[in-house]
Amino acid sequence: MSAHTHRVAGHRLPRRDGVGKVTGKHVYAADFKLPGMLYGRVLRSTRAHALIKKIDASRAAAIAGVRGIITSADIPQIRYGTAVRDTTVFATDRALFIGHAIAAVAATSLEIAERALAAIEVEYEDLPPLFDPEEALKSDIRIHPDWETYKALPIISRNRNIAGQARIRVGDAEAAFAKAHKVYEHRFSTALQHPGYTEPRVATADWDANGIVTVWCNTQLPFDTQTTLAEILDLPAARVRVTVPGIGGGFGGKLRIGVEHFAALLARKTARPVKVMSTSEEELTAALPRQASIVLLKTAVDKEGHLLARSGRIIVDCGAYAGSGPGTAAIALQVMAGPYKPGALAFESVAVYTNKVHSGSFRAPAGPMANFAMECQIDMIAKDLGLDPLEMRLRNVVKEGDPGPSGEIHRSVSIEECLRKAADAIGWHDRNPEPGRGKGIACSWWMTTGGSSGVYVKINPDGSATLVSGAVEIGTGAITGAAQILAEELSLDLTDVNVTGVDTQAAPFDYGAQGSRTTFSVGNACLAAAAELRRQMFELAAEQLEAPIEDMKLQDKHVVAGNKSISIAELARISRLAGGGLIAHGTAISPAPAYDPTRVQNHPLPVWNTPSYHAHAVDLSVDQATGKVTINRYVVAQDVGYAINPTYIEGQIEGGVAQGIGQALSEEIVYQDGRVMNANLTDYKMPTAMDVPEIESIIVECRSAAGPYGAKGVGEPPCIEPPAAIGNAIAAATGCWPNSLPMTAEKIAAAMQVQHS
Amino acid sequence: MNRKILNIVVNGESHQVLIEPHWTLLQVLRNEIGMMGTKENCLEAECGVCTVLLDGKAINSCILLAGQVEGCSITTIEGIGDPEHLHPLQEAFIECGAVQCGYCIPGMILTAKSFLDENPGCRPSRDEIREAIAGTLCRCTGYRKIIDAVATAADRIALSGAKQ
Repeated sequence: MSAHTHRVAGHRLPRRDGVGKVTGKHVYAADFKLPGMLYGRVLRSTRAHALIKKIDASRAAAIAGVRGIITSADIPQIRYGTAVRDTTVFATDRALFIGHAIAAVAATSLEIAERALAAIEVEYEDLPPLFDPEEALKSDIRIHPDWETYKALPIISRNRNIAGQARIRVGDAEAAFAKAHKVYEHRFSTALQHPGYTEPRVATADWDANGIVTVWCNTQLPFDTQTTLAEILDLPAARVRVTVPGIGGGFGGKLRIGVEHFAALLARKTARPVKVMSTSEEELTAALPRQASIVLLKTAVDKEGHLLARSGRIIVDCGAYAGSGPGTAAIALQVMAGPYKPGALAFESVAVYTNKVHSGSFRAPAGPMANFAMECQIDMIAKDLGLDPLEMRLRNVVKEGDPGPSGEIHRSVSIEECLRKAADAIGWHDRNPEPGRGKGIACSWWMTTGGSSGVYVKINPDGSATLVSGAVEIGTGAITGAAQILAEELSLDLTDVNVTGVDTQAAPFDYGAQGSRTTFSVGNACLAAAAELRRQMFELAAEQLEAPIEDMKLQDKHVVAGNKSISIAELARISRLAGGGLIAHGTAISPAPAYDPTRVQNHPLPVWNTPSYHAHAVDLSVDQATGKVTINRYVVAQDVGYAINPTYIEGQIEGGVAQGIGQALSEEIVYQDGRVMNANLTDYKMPTAMDVPEIESIIVECRSAAGPYGAKGVGEPPCIEPPAAIGNAIAAATGCWPNSLPMTAEKIAAAMQVQHS
Repeated sequence: MNRKILNIVVNGESHQVLIEPHWTLLQVLRNEIGMMGTKENCLEAECGVCTVLLDGKAINSCILLAGQVEGCSITTIEGIGDPEHLHPLQEAFIECGAVQCGYCIPGMILTAKSFLDENPGCRPSRDEIREAIAGTLCRCTGYRKIIDAVATAADRIALSGAKQ
């Protein structure tokens, strides 16, 4: 089937949850409430690194309306975590950052809960803190003195304050450096960035008569949350039910446990339903932001600008717990390799503990950090060699069948097409149309995360279909995309497909709304379910129509065999009476491609599935006095494999670029002496409608072998290239590269001043 | 408890609510009247998701004390249209793909409605729309399709106004 013959897939159809969302009917986790519900709040450390000598909650417990207080002493002593099991619900004997949870209170109102927090007395004894990740690498101070006793994934290599260290090595980089035409070394840094979802993390928990706790929350990963909660509560997973009524954005910030454990533990303690919702201040001081990083890159080239060898080190600041840091740091190595012929590589990642907020997996973890360094350095080298930056990239990009950094083979490669289309659209031939104005380009590749998906699909007696998936619709339109695939395969309209809410007790497993995988993987599971439903319907129709199965097809909501036909609705009704109804379980898994394990060490994601390719180009002006950047135009050419719904693909591109512009120019959780200085949404500067230009999307379709109809992952890539593309355009406009994010007007003005003096 | 009676009209219906003096309009709408379409986030008038119309003008309900709106008329997202009778703005937001997670959308639509109502018959430029909605943060969309939606709805409203 080609895209042109699709009736439902590939079309700009409205999302299934749109009407609920524009009328206020859509229920989000923040809207959820139960009769008799208590309100929970969390007491957080005011010290960056300190022993906790005493916690006295007796005054707080005496306040009328306080129903329960818990601290570390009241709960199972469990350490949890994805890569390293270093995390606890509350600070145990020591507080590791300002914002570290110390205790939680449930009360009949939020006001009473807050009064109770203020009445809890904590006695601290300060310890010397570590805020700088490079200092933490050298220091004798241990943020986790018992790190050796923690369990971790076997692949993770740890040492002292290092939570994870990975390497990619290809060929002999040292030898290549020795005989290169030129060698360049640069250092870049990037800042801590909040995911910025508009619905705070929130959970309501209630225990039933069978000892099952139900948690209504806004997680992106209900099954991972179920597993982690079961560990924390010391229960079998079957006694934890996680359900997601609706979720107001996530962007990777809601992958891991946020407040669900506080709600569940307080509900157990009080035997009442308890709701816990983060405040804005907690979001900016104690959520799961994108890590700050330092990237050191050394690159050798020949006279023509071919990349001969590259070595590099990324230091990722995890904060107080490893969180997603080890994996994020390791992924940076593939991003640093880029969509380029690898040459010789010697890349190393280091994820390091500091006494700051622990971090997470914000959209394309490591992508923008590593790409900013790598792609700005390409421009710096091009400038030094007198090459056009686009031409230098075109000389180095991978072609079909070239090996990637892990020794895997690049397939359905479109990077050259993306670069040329983005460059043409921005008017690359004229890079400096006027003084103070410049154009920049940057490109990257990114994985489509694997993991398995299951769906149940049943056909209802009115001929409609119900799709039961464990994947959360976080706003991308991914589930509408999967429903389009299902409707296409069953000859239904999109409006015939109803999607249920996510409930771990009822839905089949899904690896979760992460890693640009939802439409890809749930879509594949829908293909499998549709194939099984066709088999069931054709068998039933064979009896009804007295026609051979091999003559049958689905057409316009009917099974058709020659001149005979029977409606899907009729078959569903017959099956209900005779066979328990039409229902199918579809599953999908994308196996990782073959690679060379000798190249990759201690890497939790050693090879990328179904990579996508993309290029961004920007035209901007820099105020020569103040350094203020105004983006005139922004173009993205992104290979999506097959555009299942172009409207929502554009939505992903436009939204991802806006986040990338924020990271490039204004967003930073600013720490001073371990304290966040801008823990509110006025001082933490996310782009408003006044700051984002009209982002232009060019959708490139180079079909993949593994995705539904050839689709590739879409959601994460758009936020990868903006810092590099914008950095390169600032350099084209001003002659200087700000090498640290965010590239604020202040930094740009300072760089221009240095250049002029 | 120091409760007092508040009389307000919400979406055309009169309500008498017993409130505490520190309660905000947002708390009254969500907790007492059940208008959950009015969203809750920063509680500091920084993000705009709690926007409602107070006597037709967009305001942040999270920092307005409920006691201050005695006798006033409030419009929430539930008051401008329902699934069977969508307001042109609601229709255009769906049509233009302006909705992703949707959490900011009630506030965004009401902000846009207040702006269009203040400028009857006008077809605002994209820059004017940007300025009008700049007080409401959206992290999903990058705003382009929201601007498309407001422009589309403004055109349709102006056209239907011209016909009448």
